[in-house]
Amino acid sequence: MPLPYENALRASRRVLRALVVVNVVYGIAIAGLLAFSLISEDFAMRALGVAPAADREVMMRGMQLVAFIGILAVPLIQVILNRLLSIVDTVRAGDPFIIENARRLQTIATMLLGTEVLHLIIGFVAARTKSQVQQLDIDWSFSIAPWLAVLLLFVLARVFESGARMRADLEGTV
Amino acid sequence: MAIIVKLDDLLHARRMTLTELSEKVGVSLPNLSILKTGKARAIRFSTLHGICEALECQPGDLLAFDPAEPNVHEEP
Repeated sequence: MPLPYENALRASRRVLRALVVVNVVYGIAIAGLLAFSLISEDFAMRALGVAPAADREVMMRGMQLVAFIGILAVPLIQVILNRLLSIVDTVRAGDPFIIENARRLQTIATMLLGTEVLHLIIGFVAARTKSQVQQLDIDWSFSIAPWLAVLLLFVLARVFESGARMRADLEGTV
Repeated sequence: MAIIVKLDDLLHARRMTLTELSEKVGVSLPNLSILKTGKARAIRFSTLHGICEALECQPGDLLAFDPAEPNVHEEP
């Protein structure tokens, strides 16, 4: 018998696989931009629309640091997407309430926490990167929602673990 | 320590097969087999009630505790 929401699960799987590729492309693009900015600083500054100024060195270092932190987020996102894919696979297989999925949720929560910490660091770097004539503007803003999502995921992972243990007990009950 | 299930001995003493017990108690044969081989993690009171009624025995006749044996039911 096909699972309810089978189409939604199939679509989720496709979206996640596409996001895995997008994330890698994003990482390569940022790494390329960083490498390019190190090789040809003048051209990179013009391409990014940074006005020529005497102390633009500060702006360039700030942007390079933001790009570097952006690259650090790529493996974290990759782990999140891969774990989510594994969870979707277990749902499709009809057996999602297992200890492994609880551990996967815990890993996703930890990785998401990591990305939020990186987001905070980027905000800090952007705020500190300013010269006498310009300020690094990356449209950064703080939001409480991702932090609540991290908290929710940690709680959910614990709930999932308890549920999986209870189910394992029930399976061995005669 | 371990909980020993003595269902095999009781069946032998009553000259009853596991299939007959399954029909009398209303518990599936695979589940009774799990219980008999000591692989069950838990037993329902309703199952215990049915087995005791069918085999005319007490729960203590069915289960025993041996502290010398390793606890195979321990949490992973």
